[in-house]
Amino acid sequence: MIDIQNVRKSFGDLEVLKGIDLTVERGEVVTVIGGSGSGKSTLLTCINGLEPINGGKITIDGTEVHARSTDLNKLRTKVGIVFQQFNAFPHLTVMENVTLAPRKVLGMGRAEAEAIAEKQLRHVGLADKLSTYPSRLSGGQQQRMAIARALAMSPGYMLFDEVTSALDPQLVGEVLETLKMLAEEGMTMILVTHEMSFARDVSDRVAFFHKGVMAEIGAPDQLFGAPRHPETQAFLSKVR
Amino acid sequence: MDLRFFEIYRRSDYLLLLLEGAALSAALTITAALTGMALALALSGARYARLSVLRHVAAAYVEFIRNTPLIVQLFFVAFGLPTLLGYQWPFWAHALLALTLNFSAYFSEILRSGYATVGTGQTEAAAALGLKPRQTFFKIVLPQAVAKTYPSLVSQFIFLFLTTGVIAEIGVNDLTQAGKFIDSRTFRSFEVFFTLTLIYILMSLSFKGGLAVLQRRLFRWQVAR
Repeated sequence: MIDIQNVRKSFGDLEVLKGIDLTVERGEVVTVIGGSGSGKSTLLTCINGLEPINGGKITIDGTEVHARSTDLNKLRTKVGIVFQQFNAFPHLTVMENVTLAPRKVLGMGRAEAEAIAEKQLRHVGLADKLSTYPSRLSGGQQQRMAIARALAMSPGYMLFDEVTSALDPQLVGEVLETLKMLAEEGMTMILVTHEMSFARDVSDRVAFFHKGVMAEIGAPDQLFGAPRHPETQAFLSKVR
Repeated sequence: MDLRFFEIYRRSDYLLLLLEGAALSAALTITAALTGMALALALSGARYARLSVLRHVAAAYVEFIRNTPLIVQLFFVAFGLPTLLGYQWPFWAHALLALTLNFSAYFSEILRSGYATVGTGQTEAAAALGLKPRQTFFKIVLPQAVAKTYPSLVSQFIFLFLTTGVIAEIGVNDLTQAGKFIDSRTFRSFEVFFTLTLIYILMSLSFKGGLAVLQRRLFRWQVAR
């Protein structure tokens, strides 16, 4: 369970998260929508401790993320994150990209790590690209590789930060299919996205962020069908 | 003026002298490049150290080396320091130390410029996968930095190889010293220094060729583009 309590986060004078409360249960898929600068991406980087927070607390399976005693590297093996920019490691093959963390962080042997990597890469449809370098892959393939790379750590939770925003339109579908597959398999996920119909399709709950506040959260049919908050209504009328 | 290449090099000991000199020049440059690279890694790392003393010492060292002539560094290592510390090394060891120090400063600056080209997205992705800063540096940042700055590292290597001639000044029997010796015996300056020029060119081009092959092997991912 990911438990977010009254989390505040500022960059200098700018407060980007103004007291966020959100609990995500095992197996749940929560999507976060909202305009740019609403704080939705920042929340994800706070959840896995890439960003420090200024107030409140985030606990993952009982471990407080920002507590001084917390081993962040260990915690991050439980929480995978995929970014908008795929951040493929260009000097490593697809296989090496995926086996790096299992070998170096989890201490797996090569054979074991490669078996897991191959399974995950097959899962995302890249089984024929194992010895290819990322520069030879399309954006959609690189993003799917990044997803396999995160999955190879067998995380309990996955965070997706606008993972289709940097893709050419014709490549968005293949990545969304991969995400949908993960959701159907019961992966606990928090997704920040601009793909509204996708959000409506896969989510258990949808949260709308506005100016650092979670203005509204609800079942997709409710939030998209009958939004209560005026800002949600305004936002949805603009993106539709 | 008639040219007498044949008569000079008919004496095989002169040829042998040139070969030995060339071998020593090459060996000293390559060894100094390797040890210099190791030192450069530490130096460039020290520039990011949490301890500010370390950062300043590394920066001062780099500035010191880059703003003094190699020959003065050489004399300092060969004559200055031994007077102070009372050690006696063979000439080549002094030369190796001076060349290593020189390489390390230039290499560390080149590496540093390489680190800057590796985007924060890379380190962030590595951190997100649970890699420790040290692992991220050696597995993600360094390989990409070396690949990107490889041409600069090669130029620096060739440049220093060509300036190694100054080690003849402290009595090392390098290629330049061999030439000077043969010249002093034969007074055939044109032939001798023409030969020397040729050997230096051949060696430089061989180094470049070899390092280009190494580049293709080491950085296959760049060729894959």
